Amino acid sequence: MSKSRTVTLGFLVSIVLVLLIGQLFYLQVIRGWEFKRRARAVVRRELPIPAQRGDIFDRHYDFPLVVNQDSFAVDLIPGDVPEGSRAQLFERIAIALGIAVEDIENKVPPRFYHLYQPIELKGGVGFETVAYLAEHLADFPGLTWHNKPIRNYLGMDSLSHVIGYVGDINREEIQVLYNQGYSFGTVLGKSGVEKQYDLLLRGKDGTRFRTVDVREKDLQAKPEEDIPPEPGKNLVLTIDRRIQLLCEKALGERIGSVVVLAPSTGEVLAMVSYPTYDANLFFTERAAQEFTGLSLDPTFPFINRAIQSSYPPASTFKVIMTTGLVEEEVFPITREVTCTGEIFYGDRIFRCHRKVGHGALALFGGLAESCDVYFYTAGDELGIERIVYYSREFGLGSSSGIDLPGETPGFLPTPEWKQKTQAMIWLGGDTLNISIGQGYLLVTPLQMANVIATIVNEGRVFRPRVLKEVRDPQTGDLIEEIKPEVLRVSPIRKETFRTVKRAMRMVITEGTAEVVLTTDAVEVAGKTGTGEAGFEDRWHSWFAAYAPFTPEYPEEQVVVVVMVEAENEWEWWAPKAANVIFQGIFADQTYEEAVETLKPWWYIQQQQAARVAAERADRAEQEARLADEETR
Amino acid sequence: MKRVSLFAFDFILLGATLVLMTLGILFVYSSGMSFTGMQLSNEYVKQLIWAGSGLVLMVGVIMIDYHRLRRLSLYLYGFVILLLLITPFMGREVHGARSWIGIGEFGIQPSEFAKITTVLFLASYFAGIGKGVQKLPRFLLGLAVVVLPIGLILLQPDMGTALVFIPIFIFMAFIAGARLRHILYLVVTGLLMIILAVAPLYEQWILGREATVLSMMTQFEVARYFLLAALLITLLSAWGFWGFKRRYFYWILYISSLVLFSSAGAMLVTRALREYQIMRFIVFLNPRADPQGAGWNLIQSVTAVGSGGFAGKGFLQGTQSHYQFLPQQSTDFIFSILAEEWGFLGGLLVFALFLIVLLRGVRILYIARDEYASFVGAGIVAMFFFHVVVNIGMTMGIMPITGIPLFFLSYGGSSLWTGLICIGLLLNIYFRRYGS
Repeated sequence: MSKSRTVTLGFLVSIVLVLLIGQLFYLQVIRGWEFKRRARAVVRRELPIPAQRGDIFDRHYDFPLVVNQDSFAVDLIPGDVPEGSRAQLFERIAIALGIAVEDIENKVPPRFYHLYQPIELKGGVGFETVAYLAEHLADFPGLTWHNKPIRNYLGMDSLSHVIGYVGDINREEIQVLYNQGYSFGTVLGKSGVEKQYDLLLRGKDGTRFRTVDVREKDLQAKPEEDIPPEPGKNLVLTIDRRIQLLCEKALGERIGSVVVLAPSTGEVLAMVSYPTYDANLFFTERAAQEFTGLSLDPTFPFINRAIQSSYPPASTFKVIMTTGLVEEEVFPITREVTCTGEIFYGDRIFRCHRKVGHGALALFGGLAESCDVYFYTAGDELGIERIVYYSREFGLGSSSGIDLPGETPGFLPTPEWKQKTQAMIWLGGDTLNISIGQGYLLVTPLQMANVIATIVNEGRVFRPRVLKEVRDPQTGDLIEEIKPEVLRVSPIRKETFRTVKRAMRMVITEGTAEVVLTTDAVEVAGKTGTGEAGFEDRWHSWFAAYAPFTPEYPEEQVVVVVMVEAENEWEWWAPKAANVIFQGIFADQTYEEAVETLKPWWYIQQQQAARVAAERADRAEQEARLADEETR
Repeated sequence: MKRVSLFAFDFILLGATLVLMTLGILFVYSSGMSFTGMQLSNEYVKQLIWAGSGLVLMVGVIMIDYHRLRRLSLYLYGFVILLLLITPFMGREVHGARSWIGIGEFGIQPSEFAKITTVLFLASYFAGIGKGVQKLPRFLLGLAVVVLPIGLILLQPDMGTALVFIPIFIFMAFIAGARLRHILYLVVTGLLMIILAVAPLYEQWILGREATVLSMMTQFEVARYFLLAALLITLLSAWGFWGFKRRYFYWILYISSLVLFSSAGAMLVTRALREYQIMRFIVFLNPRADPQGAGWNLIQSVTAVGSGGFAGKGFLQGTQSHYQFLPQQSTDFIFSILAEEWGFLGGLLVFALFLIVLLRGVRILYIARDEYASFVGAGIVAMFFFHVVVNIGMTMGIMPITGIPLFFLSYGGSSLWTGLICIGLLLNIYFRRYGS
């Protein structure tokens, strides 16, 4: 035995152990914090606590139009399901939730059987079902549920376009919105106010921290560490639900739209588009079918026709022509044009809507009677450049900037545009067409409302909007009041607008609308419009008006624009609807009361027809009874 | 030795052993605890029983004069070899290996006791041949003494335990005065074999592309010619050495046969290793290669150790262990719990205790009365040393996972008994150092 070899051995052993101690020191002391953080990350899970979405109110802030309704989603934790009882459990769950066993099997495939993450089996489950499950929990091992409130739209269907609806975020949306704090599984607004003000409404999700073991099983929850959610803000809209309902009923089941605007602030008091849809259907069992059905509907119920459809403005455009004529003085307003029912221009004949002609008319008469020949002549004199200039002054061809998504700017044709896109020069005939609001020109009902508002405010127009106030969801305190924002100030003289107003008043007192605008509740000024839409016996029906004509203070004035599409049976309905709307607003009446007060001709006819039908039915019943008795 | 004095007893060695065992019981207790404080297993109670019975065994070993053990060593060795022979057929299968035999719940691992009997027998062999160990045939015969149990244990298969016999042999041969070039030959062959066996895996899993240098291991065509060339050189130099007795032929033979044996061995190892063993090597090289599978243990253990920090999380406060992230906490990864809960200070304590055990062991073999005792001491020190380095190195991610326990700390009767018997042997030798 060698002594030196033994000493060598002792050194070898000591050196190796010291090296190991060095490694331990490196791991625990030098890199200790790193591993501490890693060990914490391994066991810590963050769960979002969904924030309550804000409610939406109408301008009176006394009755919610949208609230969150308690609803549950039922989840299954596959790892908690005892082996061997899976098939029976799935069957029991299927019966309890009213879903097919295959659905459960699809959502919980065998490769998930060992997982401890909950898998959502069904959303929108009511309280009764969850209560039943809670009572029979022993029969449902692994079943849990969580609160998943659904949006309940309490307002009338006609509000669905303004308010919109919510849905689960999709793949495209998350790419765009990820940096704004959106993540998978969040619910976001898909249209209307729900979309426009989603960030205000959604609030901020909280976080629940929990500790898990290696099988993802919950070990402990420390509620004091949770970050509570910040509930979404309540929104108060400018919509007046009384006027909204009035407009909805006045339009009835006719494809078209109504806009009621307060010109002094830009607040939209009512916005109706027909056909509508019921957003509550998207939270039911048949959500997918309902959605597909609505998407394929040829009448396009998803379109908000007040801002997303544009039409030729037809004769309503003549108010812009009138403004231009008065302002420019190239065609004196007293100069008369003789209407024979048609005018030759180049090699074409341009006809007036009144075939026998209106005779000699000056500007006021021309607007009141909506004489096409007058405006052909005057428009030719004014020239396309000026027509385009005045149209721009009234905001045609550009978005109004309303706080709703998807607004279309309509279309304002110019000679440059025609040259560029169709390689044809602008002809005098094109000028004649645009002079009566036909041709390429396209205007949305909201733009038309802004045209009227420009006249009412004598050149100043506010950005139209549907949001009035933002309020705290818990205290109801006012957080922000939206101030009117000037959209445009026109350099056109105020005197000109006053003249145009008088002309518009004449339309009601002795012009085209005299017979239908029968309301005594207020003095109305406006303009009718009947637009070509390619049908023989049906036309787009416009009516753009405001009241009162002589206000005591500007705040009481409202602009009403009704647009009924040519798709409907021809009733010349726009001015008739506006008549009821003005009566309802200014006499503070419901639709039924207003109609009862006005007793318009169509209403009397309807009643007569109903009476005749009732009598006929009565008689038929009597005869049937007599026949019955005879046979006995 | 006619006078028995209390001072003839190595209290320091015994004390360190007892403290280590106490730590073991504490952390076996901790490992059985769930996060709620519920005791999920009664392993610590069993460990207490093992410890008690092991101490009795130890006292028994001290009582027997080791000279008597020397005379018995061949029979003991033969008996355990017999047990090892039947284990692969009659053994109980645990974790894919048949290394247990026994009745009912109590069983032993013959491979554990094979270490002791091999040490005893090899010591008696080396003591018997004296200076003859410098002769190559005698040296190789000594090697055969350990190769036999290695082969049988590999059949179970239990690679970790089999590996322990190699340092045992090297340490004992070293102390017995074997030629350094023989020992070096063995060490280099072993290391080269491991490197060559791992190289193809390294290329496949870590590098991700072909490396020209490694192609001799991965491509059969190249490997064939390489082996053929090595064989030819070996044969030629062997002929030259014995035919002409030239010194340089000896060294050519030395190196070429070394390369030949290690590369041939590496190829055999690569064929013989099982999937999970290969993966253990791969995750040792890069734990992220399979973080959920084979790399899991390593990642969780290193995280547990590292997160312990300087002072630890406190007894029973470890999160990696009590949330069940750490696997095999009471056996292979007992040091991870200790390091997590007691931190660097606790780890230092364990190292200090093992260093005491090892250095006291070295001291005992230094002052032992005869060569036989020294060789036995060298074998025991080698065994303890290898277990400590490989097990703790594994928990810290610097050794591959081989599944060998940490003496005195890991849960398990066989390992504890083996450790205590070995301590008993050391004390025995110390006790009788002044004998006639």
